[in-house]
Amino acid sequence: MFGYLQVQKSELLVREFEAYKAVYCGLCKQMGKDYSFLTRFSLSYDCAYYAMLLMSFHRSCSGFIDRRCTFNPLKKCRFALTESDSYGKAAAFSVISAYFKLKDDISDSRLFKRIMYRMILPFFSHWRKKAAKKYADIDNLISQMMDLQYEAEHNLECSVDRAAHPTAFLLGNIFSLEAKDETDRRVLYEFGYQLGRWIYLIDAADDVVQDKKSGNYNPFIDSNGKIAKVDYIAAVLNQSLARAYDAYNLIDLTDFKGILDNMILKGFPTVQNKITDKLYTEVKNE
Amino acid sequence: MNNPYEVLGVSETASDEEIKDAYRRLAKKYHPDNYTDSPLSDIAEQKMKEINEAYDQINQIRQKGRGTGSAGSGNYSGNGSSSQFYSVRIYIQRNMIDQAEQILDSAPQGNRTAEWFYLKGMCAYRRGWSEQAFSYFTTACNMNPGNGEYRAALNNMQNQRAYNYGGYNQTNVGNQSDCTCCDICTTIMCADCLCDCCRMGC
Repeated sequence: MFGYLQVQKSELLVREFEAYKAVYCGLCKQMGKDYSFLTRFSLSYDCAYYAMLLMSFHRSCSGFIDRRCTFNPLKKCRFALTESDSYGKAAAFSVISAYFKLKDDISDSRLFKRIMYRMILPFFSHWRKKAAKKYADIDNLISQMMDLQYEAEHNLECSVDRAAHPTAFLLGNIFSLEAKDETDRRVLYEFGYQLGRWIYLIDAADDVVQDKKSGNYNPFIDSNGKIAKVDYIAAVLNQSLARAYDAYNLIDLTDFKGILDNMILKGFPTVQNKITDKLYTEVKNE
Repeated sequence: MNNPYEVLGVSETASDEEIKDAYRRLAKKYHPDNYTDSPLSDIAEQKMKEINEAYDQINQIRQKGRGTGSAGSGNYSGNGSSSQFYSVRIYIQRNMIDQAEQILDSAPQGNRTAEWFYLKGMCAYRRGWSEQAFSYFTTACNMNPGNGEYRAALNNMQNQRAYNYGGYNQTNVGNQSDCTCCDICTTIMCADCLCDCCRMGC
């Protein structure tokens, strides 16, 4: 995942922002503890969102403590505590997906970078194995999604729907792991599916100009090498987010509700608008 | 049953007005119109029922007789019986999309009417493949422009596609006018500077 799941900071209450940071710091600490301090660099906003959603869904946040930040010992940080395994899952998700992304990048990048990636790959491979031992289902789902993605992008008639399906399917299944009953499962699946679809497509929209130059696959570039209309891209993105929001409304959430609402109603659309605005100018300049 | 106050998310000491507000807010959120064609429509309907019951119950407790709440959740099923794909509709209603598509795909080319495209669109929509659904619904509407059901599905999609939450909508969309808020603001600032130059600071 790629760091698009952000908050709209200006619209958060101060205490909400502190809670958000506390979850982020808590997750960072867990990654250091479970894997290595190096993996902390792979931590993204997306995984913080995942951890927070889990904590909210299971109502498992049991308070906050003030401790020193491990990165900068002079700074004091607040950490959110949890009774459930939310951090562990989010950390595993982060490490496993970082491993697969690295592996994917090796084949896409140039000589010098490729050598560098190859050198760090064994470390990630080790951490991934460690994570997979405890969270086999997450590891299975992610590796399955990588295969599906490869298949989809090498399919000549790859539509937008088909290209987005692997990521969407992955997130749908990851979220529905938490379900307590069938109703939960369906709601969480739909929410994950549409959110995952949005993430994949926003990433594609973000990279579309670059992909056109380098000739990489992108669902918004047609077979003649033409970029889709920006209005069309915005409509596709809006629709995924609208459907994700409908499903989100059916999940019972109380803890961190203000933050989660802020994200889906303001944070994500703001990220999206920033990217489509950028596209408008870039496409115009071409 | 759960505590009706909890269902509406209000405290037991809340005023009647607050309860009404909370009820209205939730009813708007779970309204069947938000979930037309959605794979989660039955769950939303269930939620709607719960809040209706809770609202009625609170009204009863508060000795106000029956509330006006339970008017909601109309019957939103399609006009199935006259349809040539009746079984497909049943499968879709039960969320058995694979079976529904199997029947549709085995229909001969000549039978692929507007309804066929509409139902194919429904299957795609339920799977989350919105783009495919959009093109099927468009075809269905073009083949039979007078049908309200197909039109409603397409409209629902178009609403979703146009919907961008949060106040921060795109502003610099291509055809900007010559004078934006920023321009006005800068002009005023410049004017203010000129004012200051003459030591008349206003």
